[in-house]
Amino acid sequence: MVTQKEIQHVAKLMKIELIDPSIYERVDKMLGYFDILDSAGVESEEIIFREIPITNLREDKYIPYNEKLIEKLNHYKGTYVRAPKMV
Amino acid sequence: MDIKISALQFTREVKSGNLSAEEFMAKTLEQIQKVEEKLHAFLSLNDNALKQAKEIDKKIKLGQKIGKCFGMPISIKDNICIKDTKTTCASKMLENFVAPYDATVITKLKQQDAIFVGKVNLDEFAMGLTTEFSAYGPSRNPWNTDYVPGGSSGGSAVSVSAFECVASLGSDTGGSVRNPASFCSTVGYKPTYGLISRYGLISYANSIEQIGPLTRTVEDTAFMLNLISGIDSNDDTTVDNHGEDYLKNIDSGIEGKKIGIIKEMIGDGIDPAVLSATKDAISKLEGLGAKCEEMSLDMVKYSVAAYYTITATEAGSNLARYDNLRYGYDFSVEGYEFNSYIEKARKKLGPEVTRRMILGGFVPSAGHAGKYFLKALKVKNKLTRQINDAFKKFDLLIAPTVPILPFKIGEKIDDPVALFLVDINTVTANLTGKPAISIPFAISHGLPIGIQLIANSMDDKLLLQAAHALEKTVKLPEVPI
Amino acid sequence: MTKIGLEIHCQLTKLESKLFCTCKANYREFEPNTNICPICMGLPGSLPRLNQKAVEKATMIAMALNCNTPEKIAFFRKNYFYPDLPKNFQITQLNVYGDTTVGGTGTLMVGEKKIRITRIQLEEDPGRLIYEGSSEKNQITLVDYNRAGTPLVEIVTEPDFENPKEVREFLNILSDLLENLDVSDPSLEGAMRADANVSIEGGNKVEIKNIGSFHDLEKAVHFEITRQQSLHSRDIPIIQETRHWDDKRKITVSSRSKEEDLDYRYFLEGDIPWIKINEETKEKLKTEMPESISSKKQRYITKYNIPTQVAEVLSSDKFYSNLFENAHTKENAKEVANIITTDLMGLVDTREKRADSKLKPSHLKEIADSIQSGKITRNSAKNALYEIVKMGGSLSDIITKLDLGNITTESELSKIIELTISEEPLAVEQAKSNPQTINFLVGKVMQKTKGKADPKLTLDLLKKMI
Repeated sequence: MVTQKEIQHVAKLMKIELIDPSIYERVDKMLGYFDILDSAGVESEEIIFREIPITNLREDKYIPYNEKLIEKLNHYKGTYVRAPKMV
Repeated sequence: MDIKISALQFTREVKSGNLSAEEFMAKTLEQIQKVEEKLHAFLSLNDNALKQAKEIDKKIKLGQKIGKCFGMPISIKDNICIKDTKTTCASKMLENFVAPYDATVITKLKQQDAIFVGKVNLDEFAMGLTTEFSAYGPSRNPWNTDYVPGGSSGGSAVSVSAFECVASLGSDTGGSVRNPASFCSTVGYKPTYGLISRYGLISYANSIEQIGPLTRTVEDTAFMLNLISGIDSNDDTTVDNHGEDYLKNIDSGIEGKKIGIIKEMIGDGIDPAVLSATKDAISKLEGLGAKCEEMSLDMVKYSVAAYYTITATEAGSNLARYDNLRYGYDFSVEGYEFNSYIEKARKKLGPEVTRRMILGGFVPSAGHAGKYFLKALKVKNKLTRQINDAFKKFDLLIAPTVPILPFKIGEKIDDPVALFLVDINTVTANLTGKPAISIPFAISHGLPIGIQLIANSMDDKLLLQAAHALEKTVKLPEVPI
Repeated sequence: MTKIGLEIHCQLTKLESKLFCTCKANYREFEPNTNICPICMGLPGSLPRLNQKAVEKATMIAMALNCNTPEKIAFFRKNYFYPDLPKNFQITQLNVYGDTTVGGTGTLMVGEKKIRITRIQLEEDPGRLIYEGSSEKNQITLVDYNRAGTPLVEIVTEPDFENPKEVREFLNILSDLLENLDVSDPSLEGAMRADANVSIEGGNKVEIKNIGSFHDLEKAVHFEITRQQSLHSRDIPIIQETRHWDDKRKITVSSRSKEEDLDYRYFLEGDIPWIKINEETKEKLKTEMPESISSKKQRYITKYNIPTQVAEVLSSDKFYSNLFENAHTKENAKEVANIITTDLMGLVDTREKRADSKLKPSHLKEIADSIQSGKITRNSAKNALYEIVKMGGSLSDIITKLDLGNITTESELSKIIELTISEEPLAVEQAKSNPQTINFLVGKVMQKTKGKADPKLTLDLLKKMI
């Protein structure tokens, strides 16, 4: 069971404005379904991941991007990107 | 002229001069004009498609070197970047985003003279399995337009099924290629993780998703895979397949192969028609000399919960960049404080994406990761161990692609858990990185049923050989459009 | 007891390209937002392409700080929204699934004191925010992404420092070490930054961020200790918090409590597989590592008989030690060391002066050899050095141009001494009765020869001639 307050807290974290009131019920239902994970009995399981040798990595070489990316961007003033004010 | 031909037929015919690429393209565009209003597969069309086809014909006439696609019309899911083309992810958030580069798969197909006829519909940011969550409206199933085409690569499956293109590229995070392929009666392929570069695919859950082709035949899939697979320096997760030719010896058959029937994927909740089709497929495979035997992967029970936990977490992070500061839509930053601006800007994300963002913020958070995210990773790991063990005994695994028949538009959209369960048979291949294919197998009450085969990592060639063998046992009616 | 711990961020400025893309690692020479590409701007569909050399150099740093280096390293995402972070997450490293950062626990000696290193991680630097005018009036924030994706190594220490002086000594040693490894130029603005955490009497830990320079770091730590001591003496509890260094007022101020607690939701970066670094690679890196400062110092002392203090200065500064290595021979080593540490240091004491200097190792060698062969005096050498640093050119030309050549023949020198004796009869008389005062006459001769006469020869001749 997840509380409305918890959902509001997460929404802030994720920069999501909650408009649709049905979201509480739906998210609660989804999370409720995830409870099944508790009975999977996987506590002792390790986390493994794909591996590659260091030699597969990119060579350290400077290659400038061949287009003026800045001109394709939103909100740019002269040469800077404009962001909202920080408080 | 027939536009209902396979990719291999198309390339053979154009190469031999029996078919003009331009004429074929014109017919294809005509078909699009005819059916789009009903089906809504496309989000945007390539205005230069006809001109590009004309160029191909000219090259052939002049005897110039030409790529293996010979001007074949291909549709591309709108989460794959084509340079200087809108790539919206079916989201209002990216309605004006023009990709400044080509995805690796696009670069490769361009080199082979493919023509991208247009960008096709999907659930917003590929989150969904019905294409109903597209911000630009749902696509419809050509077999019955009241029904969903599956998703998230719904536009891909519809466009192939309704002859609006010869082949399509979709992306498969938890079944997003195989599910709509099954619902629309096309072949749908999810390769071994890393076989196809993801560079230029807009990430949803990057640790498990792959680009995959949707085609009319298994041979066409092998043909496409030959063109787009292989290691890519732009994607550190790609694997080297040493230039494997997937078409070569595709008719090797499956005699003597051992096939495991995944018990957990034909259990509770399966539609009787789907179950009987699966049994039929098994007996056909046995008829071809394969040995089929029931087996168990008990982690499948937890796979959907693990899948949604992992995908929500990765999506929450992958979609964080959509703050409208560097690209996006017109909305001035003036007068806003940072946090409130980002919240306002992100209101363009649709309801399903919004819900997944909340889940994605919750399940890996400091207080909850132990209960949700970490357990999900462990289920993923245990499932992988189980399936690896299974492949010590079996060459292939079989299950229906989707345990139920296509359903009506609007029928399940409000029940998230019911929607979750539609994914139960497809997410295993994603969580374990294995290749899997959906083959059109039966039609029940006018609705398609697909059969899924799964192989071990890098056994993509074996998988295609088996799928090809099964496909040859099937004769299906033509799509009623 | 006061406990201070540090988190030092060091850019790998000596790399060619950024951590995940081929844009320039050293972004300083660019116009705003011109050193960017789809990858470092986090455009949809872009993927990180890890720089091999960045992993190697970070591993070298770990080795130089005596850290454990794991068999495989992993990257994680640190999720938070900020305008300087194009993806709204930072790719960094953590040790949650075993030790997977480039460096585990290690140590660095500061004099006799052992400072423990907690871990070393490789990560990407964010872009830069530019605030125009006063912060109250600012309606918007400007962002320059040139720095976004610059390879950054974070070195975290245990709270082993007891006072600001130890912190400063540690940072000096560390910065020399990093420069010597040829991974970074710590003198570049912003190349090295540090945060500190401070606690006293076993109390709560306070983090101090936003410290612009190492100089300020010392001040900030000092201020924070005093602040905490003052609270402690009045029995006011010290709260665990993050404080910002206010550069203008030179105090630490409590960071405004955030609307929500940050929760970084760390998880594995799926776009980068784990990287295997096998023993063979590590051995290779070890052989490629430049000689350490302490080993260099020892070599200078034992092999060339250079005094300990001179050897220390010479070995700890990469610029000087490089000059020395390329200029010295077995015979002139001491002389070269001497020229560098007595005459050159004052001439090239800033980064700009070093960049502008025209001095080459071959110059130094020639000057040292000329002194040893008696061609020029030490005094003339100093003048020549000044000229060469400024203008370059060949030593012989400069000797001619400035008339620095030694007066080596006795006859020539005798003439000048004769002249001096005739001009200074009083001093001559004095010198006769009191030999100590003869130095006055030597000085007069030196004046006349502009320091080109050999002082010893002059004295001998003078003694004979009066």
